[in-house]
Amino acid sequence: MGGSLRGLFYATAVTAIVAVAIVVGSRNLAHFDGALVGYTFAVLFAAFGITYRYSIWLQRPPTALYWRRGWQVFFRPKYLLHNIVHWPKRVFTDFAFNKFIFRRGRGRWIAHLLIMWGCLLAVAITFPLVFGWIHFETFADNLSWYRVYIFGFPTFSFPVYSIVGFFIFHGLVWASIIVICGVVIAMRRRLRDHAAGALQQFGEDFVPLILLFAVSVTGLMLTASYSWMKGSGYEFLAMLHAISVIFTLLWLPFGKFFHIFQRPAQLGVSFYKEVGKFEPKAKCRRCGEEFASQMHIQDLIEVEKQLGYRYEIGSGIEHYQWICPSCRRCLFAISQGKLWQ
Amino acid sequence: MAKLPVSIEALTKGFGPHTAQSIGKRVETGIEPDRVVNTHCCFCGQQCGIQLKVKENEVIGFEPRDSFPFNQGMLCPKGVKRYLQGSHPDRLLTALERNSESSSGFIPIDYNKAIERTAKEITRIQSSFGADAFAILSGASLTTEKTYLMGKFARICLKTANIDYNGRLCMVSAAAGNKKAFGIDRAANPWSDIPKAEVVWISGANIAECAPITTNYVWQARENGAKIIVVDPRITPIARTCHLFLPVKPGRDVALFNGILHLMIEHNWINHEFINSHTVGFEAVAQHVKEWTPKKTAEVTGIAEKLIRKAAELWGRAESSFLLHARGIEHHSHGVENVLGAINIVLASGRIGREGCGYATITGQGNGQGGREHGQKCDQLPGGRDISNPEHRAYIAKVWGVNPDELPQAGVDAYEIMRKIERGEIRGLLTICFNPKVSLPDNNFVTRALEKLEFYAAIDFFLNETAHHADIVLPGSLHEEDEGVVTQIEGRVIKINKVVDPPGDAKQDWKIIQDIAKSLGRERGFTFSTPAEIFQELRIASKGGIADYSGITYDRIEQQNGIFWPCPSEEHTGTVRLFEEGSFNPIAKGNGRFYFPDGKARFNLALYKPPAEDVDEEFPIILTTGRVVSHFLSGTQTRRIGPLVDQTPSPFVEIHPRLADRLGIKNGDMTTVVSRRGEITIKAQIVNTIRPDTVFIPYHWPGKQSANQLTIAAQDPISKIPEYKVCAVKLFRAEQ
Amino acid sequence: MSVPDNLGFFIDPNRCIGCQSCVQACSECDTHKGKSMIQLQYVDRSSSIQTVPVVCMHCSSPTCAEVCPSDAIKRTEDGVMQTARKPRCIACSNCVLACPFGIPKMQTELEMMMKCDMCYDRSSVGKKPMCATVCPSQALFFGTKEEIEKLRPRSQVSNEFKFGKQIIKTKVHIMLPKFTPTKVLDVTAAMHEPVVDKNFDLESLLDNFEV
Repeated sequence: MGGSLRGLFYATAVTAIVAVAIVVGSRNLAHFDGALVGYTFAVLFAAFGITYRYSIWLQRPPTALYWRRGWQVFFRPKYLLHNIVHWPKRVFTDFAFNKFIFRRGRGRWIAHLLIMWGCLLAVAITFPLVFGWIHFETFADNLSWYRVYIFGFPTFSFPVYSIVGFFIFHGLVWASIIVICGVVIAMRRRLRDHAAGALQQFGEDFVPLILLFAVSVTGLMLTASYSWMKGSGYEFLAMLHAISVIFTLLWLPFGKFFHIFQRPAQLGVSFYKEVGKFEPKAKCRRCGEEFASQMHIQDLIEVEKQLGYRYEIGSGIEHYQWICPSCRRCLFAISQGKLWQ
Repeated sequence: MAKLPVSIEALTKGFGPHTAQSIGKRVETGIEPDRVVNTHCCFCGQQCGIQLKVKENEVIGFEPRDSFPFNQGMLCPKGVKRYLQGSHPDRLLTALERNSESSSGFIPIDYNKAIERTAKEITRIQSSFGADAFAILSGASLTTEKTYLMGKFARICLKTANIDYNGRLCMVSAAAGNKKAFGIDRAANPWSDIPKAEVVWISGANIAECAPITTNYVWQARENGAKIIVVDPRITPIARTCHLFLPVKPGRDVALFNGILHLMIEHNWINHEFINSHTVGFEAVAQHVKEWTPKKTAEVTGIAEKLIRKAAELWGRAESSFLLHARGIEHHSHGVENVLGAINIVLASGRIGREGCGYATITGQGNGQGGREHGQKCDQLPGGRDISNPEHRAYIAKVWGVNPDELPQAGVDAYEIMRKIERGEIRGLLTICFNPKVSLPDNNFVTRALEKLEFYAAIDFFLNETAHHADIVLPGSLHEEDEGVVTQIEGRVIKINKVVDPPGDAKQDWKIIQDIAKSLGRERGFTFSTPAEIFQELRIASKGGIADYSGITYDRIEQQNGIFWPCPSEEHTGTVRLFEEGSFNPIAKGNGRFYFPDGKARFNLALYKPPAEDVDEEFPIILTTGRVVSHFLSGTQTRRIGPLVDQTPSPFVEIHPRLADRLGIKNGDMTTVVSRRGEITIKAQIVNTIRPDTVFIPYHWPGKQSANQLTIAAQDPISKIPEYKVCAVKLFRAEQ
Repeated sequence: MSVPDNLGFFIDPNRCIGCQSCVQACSECDTHKGKSMIQLQYVDRSSSIQTVPVVCMHCSSPTCAEVCPSDAIKRTEDGVMQTARKPRCIACSNCVLACPFGIPKMQTELEMMMKCDMCYDRSSVGKKPMCATVCPSQALFFGTKEEIEKLRPRSQVSNEFKFGKQIIKTKVHIMLPKFTPTKVLDVTAAMHEPVVDKNFDLESLLDNFEV
């Protein structure tokens, strides 16, 4: 199967699974809210696009190799325990806390943390609702109590007019405010910072922020409309909100948002690097210094061959990849200097 | 008593060096500066143009200044990071008084009280021991206005003969040699002549590290087809790819020049016409170099004979050339002889005073040129005038409104001032812009001398190692906190612009000097309210002298990107190249090109003498000292700039592998180097880029890391420059 | 904004004096403030004072980007290979090891790679990159081809490099002697060349010395 064909296959499969999950989770659409059908199709499209792109991406030689190696080293019996111990730690520091972003800059970190957690909260609330995986029912005998149904199974209940109720029903408001704060910080940086100014692109860097802002603000306006303005302009706002959300969903596979799905691959790399530390080292075939794991160099040679590079060298070196970066720089100078002598 | 108030460690804890880093506003990339100011680098004699970015009265970064013709945006690492000296944690913000009860050795005091105390002590010492018992040591990184004021302050306010400056450790051999041969002391040519030369001869100049921007001029010459000859005991970066490298044994430069002249005469590679019409004294010199056969020259200089012949041929046959030298040939007990030897081969070639035919010494300090012209030298008055010349005295006395007889006679040089302090002849001292405890040779002696002072006041922006001994410290100004002119390496007078205000109680240095004068009750002549006013008087004072600035104004400097002196009137364009047919010459007055009444240059006998302290059985190795690119002189500034410290954190000793093998020293070993005066233990760097009989240590560090603990205080009899470049040492691997 | 077409970057390592102005100035440009991206090092200090400055050569077939598992290294339309995209880079070091010139730097504490981006905040508005502006030896030169040809009559420019059997073309040029027969610089041919060059054989230049 060709690369793109395979991508289509996976994308179709995943889209189908999501669709089935929606049908089943909503008890044959019994709890499905017809008004949200636009959202649902956007989600299905996003699932298709993301999976397709993910699949194509995974087929690139370096990615494929890392993907394979990542799992191999994770499950290698010698390191399995070590990996299992390290896994939650990495998840916590890198994903929950974004510690690496903290080191890149305080403002950047706060912005990312707010946007990330805001979005996660919003997604956790809306997706199950849209899919009909969660719904609320009042008690037959007590209209002021709600029961939460997940996948059609009854779970806990709570009074409508209570602190718990207030928080649950306004979850999206909190999410919006968090995201808006993050977006404002990020946007301010993008507008003021000379470094960002030089490198950023509208589609890549501004569109995602604008979309998140639009989704959050229109969502908040909906709440404002029905809470304080007696629903004035509600339908128009609902349409605006739907457009911004749907556009965001459709944008997921293309722009910067894709990193949300790509980034977890970092975990595989971290295992690869961890394991590489215990593996035999590659010694530079010019200076004799250790500079990487042998596994890494051999893998890179394989990848470069697949990509069509021909860095092979005779005279016992075999492949240029066996030369360390420092020697590469020296060779650059020596080869040029010789010509001048 | 000027012993240290507390331990060095405690002083260091209080006053540094601590290192400044690029943090806060300086790494933020979202800040728009309030203004960007055109000025120059504060370090070496090249005085590269630079722009400093200011936010809320703080220098937060730099921008290259492409429009300044000398460097066109180029900068060395010191220039790049110079901005970090501002808003520094070690910056002196108040006056300080010595107090051994205080944990740091000093307590802050009111500025006016500090001035009063200084004036009182000056009065006490001078009334008890005579005017000359109070001395001033000044510096050549100050603006010319300040150097002028220092000389005037010493002569007519303190009336002491004993003022000298740190150019004594730097440019004086070249200055003396140039005056003897040409009658004027200034680079003969602009640097733009270097790329036009067919041969560039570089003697004793580590251009890549000490005058980095000059590298591009030399490489441009090479691109244009020039042959580059480098004479140095070490293969410096500029020597690596030159055409001919002559690995001279330290202290033997004059022998090489004599040997070259010998071969030039032998092969008739000399310009008879030029010699006959523009010089005197050739015959005697020709007679003298007869003995300097290639064989003898090779034996003395340690350079293979074939290379000497090759160099003479390249130099001799060239149609155009540029000879550059620096401290490598000047820092010797016969530094003037070395310089005269170099000038002799230039004069014999006749290649001077024309486009592409040049000669220059590479001035070291920021205002090394301007700072040696206007009277802070012990034997000199403004305009390059001579303090022992009655006419010169009369002119300056008139400008200053005093009786010529009131002017003191010549004082003694900076090192002799130290000796006089040690002998108790000088009791009080004021220093500015000078850190002799690090920079003078045999500095353990300097410390002993400083300890004998009855009163010592230091003006500085950081507490340098010498100022540790002070009774009163007055907070002076950084380069970017004041305006004024300096004269750079080519003789171009340029303008330093004020970028920010001095912080806290810190004052512009000239204000501090005037405040002392006022407190002494002798403020007449010290009531300037701006540097521009000082400059106006300096223009008049220099008028008619050789270093004539009378036609230079601040505005003209800005318009023309600097003006080369002599510039006798506002209509005069300045003298870009000296010794050209018909160029301004107030001495020859039309008789010729050179600055003597007959207009002729002088050949001078350049006599070879071995170094004051040659190697022997006990101390069999030659030590030579010098700089690294990331530090400047005694390091008061650069040792406080984090990225520069990171680049070269500490001194090291360069040893040839052959010598290292014999001594059992490995790369990175702690190695003790011992001379008759002191010892130092530092890391060995085993490199085959140095002569096997010589070791090298950079000198920028104080205390136990100071190379000048080892160096010898032997001085040139004429210029009084110390012999930093040769002394005898032994070395061994330190116990680990 | 993009780097004007007529402006190019030219390197002549033979001119380098190792002063580190480029290293110090690199961290002053806004695109990577506080981090120095240029690579400068001694070739072998014990036997030579030779140093080598290397900036990103901006390959037309960029190995770094192609071995990147996460598509983090992108090229601008004007041919500048950018530093790693922050959201994507997963700090795997593939680019660091694979770059034929040894340019990318792994910022371990930031868990990302950073590399020379030709000071894009400056070069994209027609200004010189920091390193080439300050370089006192002009081993790093930024300007037009006409300028460099006028300034360096002994040299010709080349942007093709050979590593083993692989030829790499770059946006940045290197200066070769004018009359070198091939314009392709065979980098890996220097693999077994000694570092010491003619002036370094100091002992043959000495008349006598005692140790």
